[in-house]
Amino acid sequence: MLSILSAVGGLILSPLVGGLLTGVDRRLTARLQSRLGPPLLQPFYDVFKLFGKEASVTNAWLVFSAYMTLISSALALLIFFMGGDLLLLFFVLTVGAVFQVVGALCVPSPYSNVGAQRELLLMLAYEPILILVFVGFAMCTGSFSIEAVFAQDQPLLLKMPLLFLALGYALTIKLRKSPFDISASHHGHQELVKGVQTEYSGPYLGIIELAHWLDLVLILGLCAMFWHTSVIGMATLVAASLFTEILIDNITARLTWQWMVQKRSLLLGMGLALVNLLWLYVA
Amino acid sequence: MNTLVFCCVALPFAVALVLYFTQLDRTRKLLVPAAVAVMALAAVIMGAHGTFRLEAETFLGLPLDSLFSMLDLLLLLYILGLGWKLGSRTVMGMTALQLIGLLYLKFVLADGSAPVTAFAPDGLSLIMVIIITVVGGLITIYGLGYMDIHEEHLHLRVSRKPRFFAIIFCFLGAMNGLVLSNNLSWMFFFWEVTTLCSYLLISHDQTKEANANAYRALWMNVLGGLAFVSAMLFIQKSLGTLSTEVVLHKMTAMDVKTTAMLLPFAFFCLAAFTKSAQVPFESWLCGAMVAPTPVSALLHSATMVKAGTYLLLRMAPAFADTTMSTIVALFGAFTFVGTCILAVSQSNAKKILAYSTIANLGLIIACVGINTAASMMAATTIIIYHSVSKGLLFMCVGAIEQRIGSRDIEDMRGLYSKMPRTAIITAIGIFTMMLPPFGMLIGKWMAIEAIARATQAMTPIIFFIALGSAFTVLFWARWAGILVSSANLHDRPAHGNPKATVMFALRSLCGLAVVFSFISPLVLETFVEPSVAGVYARLGLKTEGFIPGASLTGGAGYFWIYLLFILLGLGAWIAWKAARKVSNSAHSQPYFSGLTQEQAGQIGFKGPMNAFEPVRLSNFYLAQYFGEGTITRAIDIISTAFLIVLVGGLL
Repeated sequence: MLSILSAVGGLILSPLVGGLLTGVDRRLTARLQSRLGPPLLQPFYDVFKLFGKEASVTNAWLVFSAYMTLISSALALLIFFMGGDLLLLFFVLTVGAVFQVVGALCVPSPYSNVGAQRELLLMLAYEPILILVFVGFAMCTGSFSIEAVFAQDQPLLLKMPLLFLALGYALTIKLRKSPFDISASHHGHQELVKGVQTEYSGPYLGIIELAHWLDLVLILGLCAMFWHTSVIGMATLVAASLFTEILIDNITARLTWQWMVQKRSLLLGMGLALVNLLWLYVA
Repeated sequence: MNTLVFCCVALPFAVALVLYFTQLDRTRKLLVPAAVAVMALAAVIMGAHGTFRLEAETFLGLPLDSLFSMLDLLLLLYILGLGWKLGSRTVMGMTALQLIGLLYLKFVLADGSAPVTAFAPDGLSLIMVIIITVVGGLITIYGLGYMDIHEEHLHLRVSRKPRFFAIIFCFLGAMNGLVLSNNLSWMFFFWEVTTLCSYLLISHDQTKEANANAYRALWMNVLGGLAFVSAMLFIQKSLGTLSTEVVLHKMTAMDVKTTAMLLPFAFFCLAAFTKSAQVPFESWLCGAMVAPTPVSALLHSATMVKAGTYLLLRMAPAFADTTMSTIVALFGAFTFVGTCILAVSQSNAKKILAYSTIANLGLIIACVGINTAASMMAATTIIIYHSVSKGLLFMCVGAIEQRIGSRDIEDMRGLYSKMPRTAIITAIGIFTMMLPPFGMLIGKWMAIEAIARATQAMTPIIFFIALGSAFTVLFWARWAGILVSSANLHDRPAHGNPKATVMFALRSLCGLAVVFSFISPLVLETFVEPSVAGVYARLGLKTEGFIPGASLTGGAGYFWIYLLFILLGLGAWIAWKAARKVSNSAHSQPYFSGLTQEQAGQIGFKGPMNAFEPVRLSNFYLAQYFGEGTITRAIDIISTAFLIVLVGGLL
């Protein structure tokens, strides 16, 4: 019971953490681009403003998809805080991803439709990596349970460094950071006008943003699991992952979707994961 | 027990005979549901009763064993004649070889060997009987309404419905017989009956394409039959019996399994691969979609392809812990990823479903190859849930096709505004195939857990499965999204008057898919676990790797599944309410950079010279990377290599 309560507590705190981290992200990005950047709390101001706006929707399924995205992100995070099953967590994450696609496809708009197709390609790239990483966890701990990871007395980073890299790779894709932001790129005339999110506005865009914060927390939580033995270690891993993501986001150019399906990007992350799995298997 | 077995196996054949001579629509519409109800009831009672053994030496005063031998021979002679009529040397040659093999088996090898228990179903057989009669029965009922419209379109002078339903009932009876019989030569008879029935059903419309595809199905399955006969010959020679029970006992008692002992099982695998349409034999199942939809639904969900996986699952303990088993697992996993990739390039709904069926069968076979108690449970679970969901999806596509005149998913864009109920049921069907908390995903969950604990070749298998799963999500998600695509805020379409039997079948199967997922821990506990545990206990196998946690039947399993189901269900309900609540005044057109224009209810752009330019959308099918033409050949070559290694490796 206590674990459920604390998990719910963690879930309630997560949007705050996620929003703050997004604020940090925006500041750091600005500094990397020699700008001053918005105040740290800007993401919260943005979302509050979105929630205050009048609804404007093309199709009711868009609303349905927005809620489903948020719910699955929250549920995935809940499973994580409760120390549940990693595969279950993965499947629940899929629900959110699928409804992002459904939401984008349900409006007859070329922008959101192309975004949805690209998003599917992104999923194609990161999902196998996530499964392989979770299998790696299972090989080290003997179970897919998250609790089992915290029962280990050595940081898992030592056993699965390549899987950590592969996870970072997958997470860049999941968070739609450059070079993998092909499904939601911003610019109006030459690009997708935010692709999968084109048709969301007002409170529903706010919901999607909230879901994104939850995803961010979950993903950094997964990174932290690689050094569960010390709080400092976890903090280091989280900070390092976040900073690397932001750095990569700023120094790389956007890919084309063809690049995604060709061997390089599909197989690079999986290759890293596979090598590590083989190593665990032999050791 | 006698009566129940009679109801499941012999009754369908009797009903088929009556149906064949029934021209009246009204009589048929009474008889079919009644027969289905009786069979389903008998199957459920039999399933609830648990495993049993039934000696049956005579039937209506005739000695059963000789009766089946006669029928075997007659059936093969019929197929031989069919080969003659089609002018196919391949079919004739392979059937002749089967005949020779069978005669040799009956009169030289098996002459005077001990009598075999007639029926000795294990838990798996009972599960299969329930699936066959319930899902198969619902598909038959759906067929009543479907075939009416189908024949209206064809403008037939004489209705071919009597023939159609007669064959379908033979098919159901044969499938029940196949899974219940203990004697391999009886099983072979039913095996060949399903081959023949599928040939007759695929060629039902008698078009050029139907005949060509039916012929392909025939020769591939006759090849499988030949493999089955060879397996029986080798088994009789090495173990001296054709009783499945005894064979399994003898095989599992062996410490070292020699090549000679394993060879028949390699042939069984081959037979199962042809029947389950694994690569490189996948083309017959893809071709089978030319048949009327109830046929495809039946072939893909409850019958035919499941016969192959049933045979493998049943025989699996015999080749546990061998290299052969690992090869089978690798082969299954390869089929899974190969056909998932092929499905991505398809826009034909039936073809997507076909490839997804083959992929899931591959996953089942991979689990069989892993050959631990946990993987067997995963395989059984996937068989159950796949039957329900896939049968449902095929029936949906059939209903949609009859309404909109196309089975292309691009033409299903905005289906929700034309046939909302069918669209919703289709979307639910799709979600039950790919999303938690539905049964298929629970099966996949168990499969991944089982594979992660596999002892041999775990890394490549898990790699194939992980990659394949991602492709699966790709082709399902976009189909679901397209269905609800619309520029209207709330669609309120007019009633389309679908046939009552069609809607009944769709709704019941959709209900079954959802309810069965909801009670999945119960299904696992009452059917799947006892079935696998029973086999392992009876054969005295080590249940290493039998992890209660993986079986999800412990308290923790219940907790997680229900937590997920309730929270996601609640979430979906809230989302649905919120979506319905959006007021019409909030409606806006899609964003086209300020160039939106509406003309006669159609959305489009303001083009050059202010001309109206309607929106045209299409999915990425990536044919240049994943098209059939691009990769089928490579897949065929690799899979053939697997088969050569499977059989050749033993020699």
